[in-house]
Amino acid sequence: MNRRGFLKFAAGGTVGLVASPIIWNTLYDAVYWTQNWGWIPRIPRGDSTYIPTISKLCPSGTGIRVRLVDGQPVRALSDPGNPLSRGALTALAAVETQLMVSPARLKDPLRRTPDGALVAISWEEAETLLKEKLAEAKGSTACISGDPTSTINELLSSLVESRGSADFYFMPDDEQAALTAWDAMGGLGRLGYDVDNSDFILAIGANMLESWGTVARNRKSFSAKRPAGQDARMKFAYAGPVQNNTAAGADWWLPCRDGMEMELALGIAHLLIKTGHAVPSAGFDDFKAIVAEYTPEKVAELTGVDAARLTEVTRALAQAEKPLVLVGSSLGAGGGAGAVMAGIAVNMLLGRVGKEGGLVNLPFPSPVVAGASDYRAVRKRNLVAWSQSVASGEIKAPRVLLLYEANPLYALPFNSGMEEVFAKSGFKIAMASFLSESCAKCDLVLPAAMGLERFDDCYTPYGSGEVSWCISHPLVKPFYNSRPMGEVLIALAKELDVEVGVKDMPELLYKKAYSLGADFRKMVETGAVFQKKAGGAFSVPVYNAEAIKVALTLKKETTPLNLVPVVVLGMGTAQTGIPPFATKIIMEYQLAGHYSVAQMNAATADRLGVRKGSRVTVRRGEVKIPALVDIFEGVLPDAVALSAGLGHTAFDQFSRNKGSNIMTLTSITREPGTGLPVWSSAGVSVDKV
Amino acid sequence: MEERNHTSAPETAKKCCGWGAFLVGLVVALILGWAVLPALMQKELKQPVAFNHVLHVDEQGMDCRQCHFTGPDGRFSGVPTTASCAECHSEVIGNTPEEIRFVQDYVQTGREIRSEWLIYLKQPDNVFFSHAAHSVGRCATCHTEYEEAPGTLCAVCHMDMSKVSTPPVYSENRLSGYPKGTMLMWDCERCHANPNHLSPATNANNACFVCHK
Repeated sequence: MNRRGFLKFAAGGTVGLVASPIIWNTLYDAVYWTQNWGWIPRIPRGDSTYIPTISKLCPSGTGIRVRLVDGQPVRALSDPGNPLSRGALTALAAVETQLMVSPARLKDPLRRTPDGALVAISWEEAETLLKEKLAEAKGSTACISGDPTSTINELLSSLVESRGSADFYFMPDDEQAALTAWDAMGGLGRLGYDVDNSDFILAIGANMLESWGTVARNRKSFSAKRPAGQDARMKFAYAGPVQNNTAAGADWWLPCRDGMEMELALGIAHLLIKTGHAVPSAGFDDFKAIVAEYTPEKVAELTGVDAARLTEVTRALAQAEKPLVLVGSSLGAGGGAGAVMAGIAVNMLLGRVGKEGGLVNLPFPSPVVAGASDYRAVRKRNLVAWSQSVASGEIKAPRVLLLYEANPLYALPFNSGMEEVFAKSGFKIAMASFLSESCAKCDLVLPAAMGLERFDDCYTPYGSGEVSWCISHPLVKPFYNSRPMGEVLIALAKELDVEVGVKDMPELLYKKAYSLGADFRKMVETGAVFQKKAGGAFSVPVYNAEAIKVALTLKKETTPLNLVPVVVLGMGTAQTGIPPFATKIIMEYQLAGHYSVAQMNAATADRLGVRKGSRVTVRRGEVKIPALVDIFEGVLPDAVALSAGLGHTAFDQFSRNKGSNIMTLTSITREPGTGLPVWSSAGVSVDKV
Repeated sequence: MEERNHTSAPETAKKCCGWGAFLVGLVVALILGWAVLPALMQKELKQPVAFNHVLHVDEQGMDCRQCHFTGPDGRFSGVPTTASCAECHSEVIGNTPEEIRFVQDYVQTGREIRSEWLIYLKQPDNVFFSHAAHSVGRCATCHTEYEEAPGTLCAVCHMDMSKVSTPPVYSENRLSGYPKGTMLMWDCERCHANPNHLSPATNANNACFVCHK
């Protein structure tokens, strides 16, 4: 065969191959073949087991059933058997198993080198360093905990107390304001909300169907009493600055400017007193005199809530058999005690304090660790007040600063003084599961085992209506080189000759169970939850008119535009960053590429000369954040809504450089009377770029 | 001087083969492409046990759902475990050599048949197929023709094994390691990209993460 013949043969062969399925089938096979590449994650094969436990990522300790395949946790499912969450699952509880292998997970202990880098060290080195630094720091140790529900706090506070210091703090949350308010009104314990037994709930500022309080329980209670296609057995009203999911589910949405919750509650009190709803108690006459001027018209002017709508909701509230008014802040922290006091006063007018379906008194937990601080005493200490004092030089910075599951550098307003605390503190230690902004600034970072890898607990999260206690226990060995912090702290206490009275975490939780009258073994084996009805000693609350009057003098910033923070659990917490698994539920009206989205209504946008998609800067003082405009008629006029939980500079590619942190736009002021640092209202301006 | 013609082939070459070479190439390639190479790409494997569906279904009156069922959590159990087979075959109850081998090699040793059984429609880990979402119960809400004969719907994707006395040969691709029956995305898209494929609409969602993980 000559060249021409060969070419003809080859041409015929080519045509033949193209006309046969082999090429196309091989291409398909290549597609399948790509799925064999070693770096592609594999699904474990084997028998499934389901173990009930709780989520420690979720601030309210949502009950979950963890599916394990061949002993490996693969998914967190809802647990219908959990009496608190009753089959509801929060966005954070759902990511428990995925976050165990998050790119931001801390894998080894890290130590800062003289050139500023964090390098991996062994646990032996880390523990030696930890012991040395804490031994040296006698009398000058501070600790910040980001998990107020855990009994591990008792170990931390015992260690801090043993160093001769009382600087053990919780990260700020709404309970701090509630406790201050409840104290001022004559309450004895913790303020609780019997959501389950109420037939009318008015939530002022608290987005209780999204992130506030015991959110899983709130939603189940809501859905149980409002079955689809049947008559609702509970009415629900929400007052807040944006039509969020809580507002969407409510019978009434009262569009109220952020930070004006107190004025709204006083307006309701005005209407209730006017219609003869007045359960007398000490201070009633003075309180009546204060609210006299809060007519619906004035309240409308202050809060933006229509007077007729306010009157309608108040009438419905008064007609309900078991109404409940609860007050919270849109950020879940930084709200004043004044608003809560006004809310308590409304409940008092309705005769709903200490009643089923009303406000209830919950006992403080009793410490079981020797030398631990009393829970109430810790709650009364204020982290921001301390950090500002350290920043101003009023008090000395600690020689050792210990962070436990806390990320204050991200979660607090810019003038909290935390940057200065970090700069001035001698040696900074972080105990965390993920490399947060605060961890990145520490000298020693200890990788903490996560909830499914450790013994831990969740005691009565804020927002509960009864005492509850549940346990998490290790379902698997800690991933990577992480360790359970409870065990690390107990070993550390032993090294430092601090008597904590327990030899390990199971013993600590057993003692806790004993103190409560719970069955520890049964709780571990079956995931049972300890519950106890609220009750016991109850003082008669008083209308602390003086405290309310003074709190009213707080100067609030709502101009030129009222900044409205929007909080959803899908954005994670300051400790977790944005969970990679949850990025699917972050919508284009929350984050657009690398920009935060500034939502405003069309009238506001027209006034500012911007439209959907316009690039703007949201500015407060010297601080500016870039954003893209989105038009949403569910935002109050002259307000701009921005999602919280964005703008991380640490964690992983799923969190870093995604939008801006709105905490930079907030600023702390002190509430008159209570002295509480508050940052729940901020006035910002929007400039077109 | 004789002028050399460089532009045309010699006379003999012009006559060589004609279109014959083309045809030979075409035929050879077609044979290779349709028969030889596809056969070479596949290797044929046998199931670990020659399970006889006809014997179990027709003669013993078993229902498909005794071995193939959707669990309460929505997971589909396609292959029974050794333990569930041992509910009847704790010892040899028939006289077929395959049953004797199964009892000796699996039941008596605790070896797990499920982990060795070859799955004809094995899908890669990047995709998730929910039998619960595609279940008879759900489809039969509208398609009552399936209600009486649930196997009919299964047979849309799976061959009707109840008529098979010897498991079909398992054909595995040498390049990919996946069986012949593994679906590609366009198989799914026939319904997912066209929610109206059955009337009334199935509400089949075509978002990526409905199937991909």
